[in-house]
Amino acid sequence: MEKSEHNDTVTILVDDIPVTVPAGISVAAAVLGHHHAGETYTNPVDGSPRAPYCLMGVCFECMMEINGEPNIQSCLVTVEEGMIVKRQVATAGAK
Amino acid sequence: MMERQTDLVVVGAGPAGLAAACAASNCGLEVNLVDEQSSPGGQLFRNIESPLGQASLDAKERAQGMALAKKFRASDITYFPDTTVWGLEPHKVSCTAEGKTKIFPTQSVIVAPGAMERPVPFPGWTLPGVLGAGGADILLRSGGTLLKDPAQPIVLAGNGPLLLLLACHLIDRGVNIAAWLDTGYWRKRIMSAIPMAVSFFDSAYLGKGLSMARKIAKAKIPFVLGAKNLQAIGTQRVEKITYEVKGETKEIATTCLLLHEGIIPRTHILSSLGAKHLWDPVQRYWHPEVTECGATSIDGLYLAGDAGYVHGGDASITKGTLAGIDAARRLGVITDSEAAFRSKQPLNKLRLTRFARGFLRYVFAPNPAIFAVPDQTKVCRCESVSAGDIRKVVLEGNTDVNEVKLYTRCGMGPCQGRMCGPALAEITAATLSTSPKKVGSLHIQQPFRPVSLENYCDTTTQD
Ligand code: FES
Repeated sequence: MEKSEHNDTVTILVDDIPVTVPAGISVAAAVLGHHHAGETYTNPVDGSPRAPYCLMGVCFECMMEINGEPNIQSCLVTVEEGMIVKRQVATAGAK
Repeated sequence: MMERQTDLVVVGAGPAGLAAACAASNCGLEVNLVDEQSSPGGQLFRNIESPLGQASLDAKERAQGMALAKKFRASDITYFPDTTVWGLEPHKVSCTAEGKTKIFPTQSVIVAPGAMERPVPFPGWTLPGVLGAGGADILLRSGGTLLKDPAQPIVLAGNGPLLLLLACHLIDRGVNIAAWLDTGYWRKRIMSAIPMAVSFFDSAYLGKGLSMARKIAKAKIPFVLGAKNLQAIGTQRVEKITYEVKGETKEIATTCLLLHEGIIPRTHILSSLGAKHLWDPVQRYWHPEVTECGATSIDGLYLAGDAGYVHGGDASITKGTLAGIDAARRLGVITDSEAAFRSKQPLNKLRLTRFARGFLRYVFAPNPAIFAVPDQTKVCRCESVSAGDIRKVVLEGNTDVNEVKLYTRCGMGPCQGRMCGPALAEITAATLSTSPKKVGSLHIQQPFRPVSLENYCDTTTQD
């Protein structure tokens, strides 16, 4: 179970842009803290822009498409090298 | 997939869960520990096994967290990280891990889901750039940043212990804090004076608070007392905020607002099982009724840590230890007298901590006025239900939050009322001029996490 993630970085693809982030952080933290996307999710009910709020699995505002799977709570997923992340944003056509 | 039956399943690998699993395993129980994060530590000891996580804790907590993680790794406990629990009974825990269902049959369960920030709606709180202070702190502690340019001003607002800690972490990273808007409840704060004197029994804790306060004072953050009617304004993200103080409306340009209104227990699992809960009129939250050992009103089901009542990390470790010991006693693996012997020290410690920190309950009591939001404020983020929608349905004669939920859809989205439940109860109660205690609490159904139909059917056929 030991992970040698100390001081390493990984590169993930966020909406086709490669982003290099510290290993061991969540996908939500990577997108919010390094890609600085602002909106990461469009609320399907009222179409308003949303972004991660709690970062601990409570609010469901961080849902993104990760490796082809939509509606994943990205704050609960750790980044992995080569991961493909898409924001579920109405204007980006992902949805 | 059905796992092998064990004596105990512990849910959650934060301070309480780790301590519970270690104590039970030490007594000779066979223990499975499931946790939704990928490494042990929970929120307080997040990333405790990496230098990044260690660096954001003070010396005492770091030592405590590292010791706990080490003890856990050296134990015989079987650890299931990245595993989300969506169903639970005293003899069965149902989870999803990597898209697959895992069922854990067991003799007993200790749940330790921890606490969360009290979600409090206000106009504009769904805009990107508005975050919970707790969420922001998690982001910083895991190596993220809030804004691309740290020199851009950030605004803090609310009332609660976490704001102090977050302010220190922001100052350390050179973030520019434009203002700190305090929404505290002075009527209750004054009542904290007497219990505060008692806190000298726990002088290390008090010292920590004072040194944080000194650091913040040195940073000369503009501090506004008695801020009211906070609003975040923007289109794609927050662009400015407004608030009222002494009847005057003020405005600050900012792209990031961090709000904190205290910490409440995460009660979803126990509410779904119908365990008995009590209402705390000062902290204004429901908490499950448990014994000092964490036994709930349901046989074989224990609760440990802040999910029972928020007492902080130290107390969580102690509560976990007590629950682990009692689970072993219940199964007859250790005798009553051995259990009493093992529990003596942790029990004394728990009582002292509770006594010494009693004042926090009053200092950080939430001001009920924070829930008096304008009608157009979205209360339910998922289903986009406004305070006005709720008030209308209440005035039509629906006096229980579950009825209000039915007619407004408030609490029916993916978060299952986690973000709107407290405000729904407060707004319903205020409309009826009664206490939130009188309007019920949302009935929580299992599965308490979204789970695919395929996974769900998987498990029911295995019964
Ligand atoms: S940010 Fe709240 S659930 Fe992920």
